[in-house]
Amino acid sequence: MSKGLATILMTVITVIFCMCTVLLPPIGDPNSAPNQHVTPYYIEHAKEDTGSPNIVTATLADYRGFDTLWETSVMFVSGLTACLILLNNTEVGDKILNKGKKGGKKREE
Amino acid sequence: MQILIIEAMLLLFLIFITVCILVSKDILACTIIYSAFSFCAVLTYFMFGSPDVAFTEAVIGTMSTIFFVAALKKVDRWCK
Amino acid sequence: MKNNSKKTNSMKRPFGGIVLDSSFRIIIPFTLVYGIYILTHGEYSPGGGFQAGALVAVGIVLVRLIQGADKDSFNVTGPLAIVCAGVGTFIYAATGWLTMIGGGKFLDYTYLPVPMHHWGELHALGILMIEVGVTVCVMMTIIDIMDAIIERLDDDTEEEVVCDE
Repeated sequence: MSKGLATILMTVITVIFCMCTVLLPPIGDPNSAPNQHVTPYYIEHAKEDTGSPNIVTATLADYRGFDTLWETSVMFVSGLTACLILLNNTEVGDKILNKGKKGGKKREE
Repeated sequence: MQILIIEAMLLLFLIFITVCILVSKDILACTIIYSAFSFCAVLTYFMFGSPDVAFTEAVIGTMSTIFFVAALKKVDRWCK
Repeated sequence: MKNNSKKTNSMKRPFGGIVLDSSFRIIIPFTLVYGIYILTHGEYSPGGGFQAGALVAVGIVLVRLIQGADKDSFNVTGPLAIVCAGVGTFIYAATGWLTMIGGGKFLDYTYLPVPMHHWGELHALGILMIEVGVTVCVMMTIIDIMDAIIERLDDDTEEEVVCDE
């Protein structure tokens, strides 16, 4: 009963999403709303401002370099978190967090 | 909105692979089919004109298959 | 008796086979050189830091899986990999601080304190330094997640974990 209801609900939501994608503008349209203000400036002035013919790298690393800095730091923090969770009760985890032998400061009291 | 015939074939194949993953009961088979999904995604990104995203997806697809198989060693392979 | 001896981890043993042993020594140097090529040509052709980091990490992971975890080549293990990932992010931020020392705003490449004269070359140098930082961070993150997953497989007992019904 609940499995059939879940299937029907998922199909209805998928059909609604597919119908809404027809309303979006075409992909390379120069008159759509996101392509009006900043994008023509980037396309016209990327080669002479940054000196690189690759507009993707020029946008990522020169015009929006600040965002790439925080994206890199998010990747580092997520890798660190996954590593610390996975090494919870192992020997390597105890060596990283200095538990066990070296955590004897509290036990000496 | 114009869509090429090969893009339509790739996208339909993507949906078919997803349904196969959801229906299957062998988790190891799901992992292998997921790497086929990643390969179809690589071709889709290449068709839409961004080769560096396709390149990254190819590499990450390989890495995620290795991670899933390694993580599957502690869990029972047959899920009901 | 069996509890006292060291349990072998099935993913830390070498994979074996003479075909893999002799063919990876030819393929892996080309993979690593191609990764560095993509890093340095990131501003001229499609590429950049993220792709190069993923490629070099795949090369190192493949060597680790084929040769086993006991050999000394590419001996970057878990704790060292976490530290080096932080060093990669630090290189990125240090480029920004260098431009502030030179007299401009944060991450403004025209004010790098390097004796070059044309500002196009200064921008190219700034982009290269940033991409090196991103490459190191991505490569070390992938390696240390793989090391953490393999460490978890240490007790090789037959645990029967059944999915929820």
